[in-house]
Amino acid sequence: MSRFFATGSDSESEESSSADEITPKATGTTFNKQFEELTNIIKTIRNAMKIRDMSKCLEEFEQLYRAFLKSKTIVDKEGVPQFYIRLLADLEDYLNQLWEDKEGKKKMNKNNAKALSTLRQKIRKYNKDFETEISSYKENPEQSAEEEEKDDIGSASSSKSDDDEGVTASKFLKGAESESEGDEESEDWGSDSVDSGGESEDNEGEAASLAVVFLKKYVAQDGDKQPERKKDDRRKRHKKMEQVDEEADEEGEGEEGGWEKVKGGVPLVKEKPKMFAKGTEINNAVVIKKLNEILQARGKKGTDRSAQIELLHALAGISNENNLGEGILVKIKFNIIASLYDYNTNLAAFMKAEMWKKCLECIDELLDILFENSNMFIGENIAEDSENLAISDQPFRVRGCILTLVERMDEEFTKIMQNTDPHSQEYVDNLKDEGRVCGIIDRLLQYLESKGSTEEVCRVYLRRIMHTYYKFDYKAHRRSLGLQGETKSEQDQEESEGEDSAIIMDRLCKFIYAKDRTDRIRTCAILCHIYHHALHSRWYQARDLMLMSHLQDNIQHADPPVQILYNRTMVQLGICAFRRGMIKDAHNALLDIQSSGRAKELLGQGLLMRNMQERNAEQEKIEKRRQVPFHMHINLELLECVYLVSAMLLEIPYMAAHEFDARRRMISKQFHHQLRVGERQPLLGPPESMREHVVAASKAMKMGDWKTCHSFIINEKMNSKVWDLFPEAQRVREMLVRKIQEESLRTYLFTYSSVYDSISMETLSEMFELELPTVHSIISKMIINEELMASLDQPTQTVVMHRTEPTSLQNMTLQLAEKLGGLVENNERVFDLKQGVYGGYFNRGTRTRPRNLIKDHFQIKINCIINVVFS
Amino acid sequence: ENLPFFITCLVVLKIIKHYQEEGQGSEVVQGVLLGLVVEDRLEITNCFPFPQHTEDDVDFDEVQYQMEMMRSLRHVNIDHLHVGWYQSTYYGSFVSRALLDSQFSYQHAIEESVVLIYDPIKTAQGSLCLKAYRLTPKLMEICKEKDFSPEALKKACIGYEHMLEEVPIVIKNSHLINVLLLDLQEKSTVADKPELLNLSSSNHLEKSLQLLMDRVDGMSQEIVKYNTYCRNLTKQQQQKQQYLQRRQQENTQRQSRGEPPLPEEDINKMFKPPQAPPRMDTLLIAGQVNNYCQNIKAFTSQNLGKLFMAEALQGHSS
Repeated sequence: MSRFFATGSDSESEESSSADEITPKATGTTFNKQFEELTNIIKTIRNAMKIRDMSKCLEEFEQLYRAFLKSKTIVDKEGVPQFYIRLLADLEDYLNQLWEDKEGKKKMNKNNAKALSTLRQKIRKYNKDFETEISSYKENPEQSAEEEEKDDIGSASSSKSDDDEGVTASKFLKGAESESEGDEESEDWGSDSVDSGGESEDNEGEAASLAVVFLKKYVAQDGDKQPERKKDDRRKRHKKMEQVDEEADEEGEGEEGGWEKVKGGVPLVKEKPKMFAKGTEINNAVVIKKLNEILQARGKKGTDRSAQIELLHALAGISNENNLGEGILVKIKFNIIASLYDYNTNLAAFMKAEMWKKCLECIDELLDILFENSNMFIGENIAEDSENLAISDQPFRVRGCILTLVERMDEEFTKIMQNTDPHSQEYVDNLKDEGRVCGIIDRLLQYLESKGSTEEVCRVYLRRIMHTYYKFDYKAHRRSLGLQGETKSEQDQEESEGEDSAIIMDRLCKFIYAKDRTDRIRTCAILCHIYHHALHSRWYQARDLMLMSHLQDNIQHADPPVQILYNRTMVQLGICAFRRGMIKDAHNALLDIQSSGRAKELLGQGLLMRNMQERNAEQEKIEKRRQVPFHMHINLELLECVYLVSAMLLEIPYMAAHEFDARRRMISKQFHHQLRVGERQPLLGPPESMREHVVAASKAMKMGDWKTCHSFIINEKMNSKVWDLFPEAQRVREMLVRKIQEESLRTYLFTYSSVYDSISMETLSEMFELELPTVHSIISKMIINEELMASLDQPTQTVVMHRTEPTSLQNMTLQLAEKLGGLVENNERVFDLKQGVYGGYFNRGTRTRPRNLIKDHFQIKINCIINVVFS
Repeated sequence: ENLPFFITCLVVLKIIKHYQEEGQGSEVVQGVLLGLVVEDRLEITNCFPFPQHTEDDVDFDEVQYQMEMMRSLRHVNIDHLHVGWYQSTYYGSFVSRALLDSQFSYQHAIEESVVLIYDPIKTAQGSLCLKAYRLTPKLMEICKEKDFSPEALKKACIGYEHMLEEVPIVIKNSHLINVLLLDLQEKSTVADKPELLNLSSSNHLEKSLQLLMDRVDGMSQEIVKYNTYCRNLTKQQQQKQQYLQRRQQENTQRQSRGEPPLPEEDINKMFKPPQAPPRMDTLLIAGQVNNYCQNIKAFTSQNLGKLFMAEALQGHSS
């Protein structure tokens, strides 16, 4: 096994993975992983050494130490790997050298110097454990490397059989097979280069170029590595080619000749990669072959992905030059985009902005081609062998789905936005590309409208909707305000030519409602539609749509992204209701989100810190992926403010009306919480935050002091924090003032009605600066709802109080009666148990009559008490 | 059987004075009654208060203080038999566990001991309210047993009405004092007492209602507790029954097979009966509720009387 120790990580893993394909070996993989880790760390250490980054060195060394401990079991079995020893020795030498270099040390910054001394101490201590190995290495570094080399050649089969020893008998057969295969291979590759000369030469060349890089890196340490590396590389290359060959064989005998030629004609990789030999007739078949060849490498470990992209681009260029037709070009483009997506292997990681932009361009070009060639059919369902890429009378048929690519592009865009700091210029720059994304989606939409199936149209419509629903349509808004936009510049006017987003939304959504068969797209479309309505203050449409969709009943079964969308929609609906002055609706819509105290999380606008312990890294990643990009966020402070103000407008009059009611329920717990927090303050200064403003306003309202309340809710601070965020800020403010006046009037009447015998409406209208009819209507409503015990005296325009509210004593008596009722009921239950009669209190037969009499008797007694008290 | 006992006006005045000086609001003052027993009849001739002391006074020894006080009083030739104690009350609330316990210990030592309950609020309204209570023999029995389980109380057949018995009081003065009182009556101008017709009673009623409500809540809780207990008990009984049946079946089977039957002793270990809630508290609460109700009733009937009177007067004058 020591052979592996010496080699670089790449070839090693390649080897093992190919071995794994034949006989899966658990130990092998962990073994490889751990050693790969070690070699990786060593690589970084060497790099850090080169740039004299001591702190990095120290950090990595500690990591190495840990990684080494982790692989202790294997080390125990196999001995300490040579490369490890080599590093230790080199590092120590290097450190000593640095240490001696006094001037260099002076130049170092503080951190580095500190790290240097720590590291030196550490390695000294640590190296004591490996003293013998290190000294033997130092004595004869060449030999130890050579040893490995020898091992390398000899041990391929032996190590395999070593590994297989532990395998059970049933597996042994397989193992034996693989062994022989492995043997064959290892014999093979020596002569392989002769076998398929040109091709392997190419590989050799490539390997050599790799080796050059390699040499550069390791030039100080080991020259021996080069040939070794080369061999390995060749070997793996060979294997790959074997596979290619096999597949090529399958595909067709006739083209075999051409295939050989092509292979032969790629001699130099160091220069600009040339695909085909000079003079080769480039036709469709050849290009497809080449394409397939390139694609074979896709998804394999060790494939240089950027090189692959380049190759594909080159291929596209060649096919263009030779006028091979759009069919093949489209095919290549599809693959370029796919390999661009492949560039990041990790799905969670986001694409680099440049890559993504490349991808964007590619898609744009692809769409250009598609638009130009109306006789081209593309689709996922076109089988590979029924493709028609050649120019002929028949229309082109190409396998591939443009929609999927665009969708992926859009997702990547979201990911990029998620991973960019929302407060940086970069974010703004990235956001500017949103327009291009929209443009592409629009073009795709046009394309699919004429060519695609309904399902595809639905999907692309949803994409379009997703890019539209959260944007406020200022053009339409301005137009509705009476064409103020006309005075604007020409460009603006041009812009305002386009359709209102409302109309677009309506058209797209209605299509989806009618045609979609997957529930998810429809749900999303409805939610977006509602959101869009709500955003533009079309409250009734939004509400009706929400009620008709019945989403409230079954949204908890939806997947989290849809739930987040639902939450966003609900919140927007609530804010819309607030703008339209429907305080109660606003409160109800926002209650669920706000009462949980996790609005941020529920809206997908950030993770809560306190949950950190509860979820592991994996979950966190998933949750992070669900986050809504910053430009789509709903302002949380605005949300909370709207909620609290609506709660205030509802709760304060209610509290005043039910001051003595024992059964009074809170309308909004959160609002009460804020009030209590406000009360707990030892010293009340002028309000600072939005919450404090609302609390202060609530207190003023409690006293019926609408002017103070007004000044707390609407002032400069609150304007800049909250109200100015609305598109129709002025209208909202006016509505708010009016509501404050009305509710303050109600509160005033509830609180102080016991003080008045009568009060003139004129006075009230002056006090609250409301018109007389409004005061009249409010008071009438209160009287009708039996909230205010009073009557209106029409001739004198006064409210005459009746004073029939129960006194506190009477209230108490009522409470007592209720409690006694409860007591009797409890008592009855005991009695039931004793009698062995189960069941409710009321559905008992005649047998229980006497007890009913007892109860009646009791009731009469209670009534007597109440009567006495009331008299 | 309940012979009235005599009490001197000195005792009454001293109690009133004690409350006036030290009691306030819902705070309760307490003291010791001294007297003697003459032919089965109790005579209370003097008293002294318990001093008020806070929790911090750890050194203060109440018993020590009482003994000291009694010794000193004996020196000045005052009856020194410890025949009971007195306590002030707040809107008629006095039936409590503490009262029960201390009265029990008094009565246990001297059978004739009583507790005097003084209601300062009613007294302030114009009618002296001083009542003497004793625990009934039945309750004494139960307290002696210290068994307040539902069964024991049921067996003793005790209800809240039979817990305390009121003992009539006769205030008896020496002739000299009587003479003085008559003399004073002559001298005093006619006291105008408008309070007698005062109708602003809501405060009093409110307080009473509040207290009553509180007790009703307590009662409810007790009942719920008892209820759960009962339910648990029956459930367990059922389980026990089932278990027994199963065991019996098994045993018959075993018998038929000729094996020895399984023992049945462990049944009580397996089903420990749930802890029964003590019912004494419920009784006490019931007694207290009854007390409040009597108070309210008396108060309201009085007020109604006044109302009718006022109505009659008004009709007459108009």
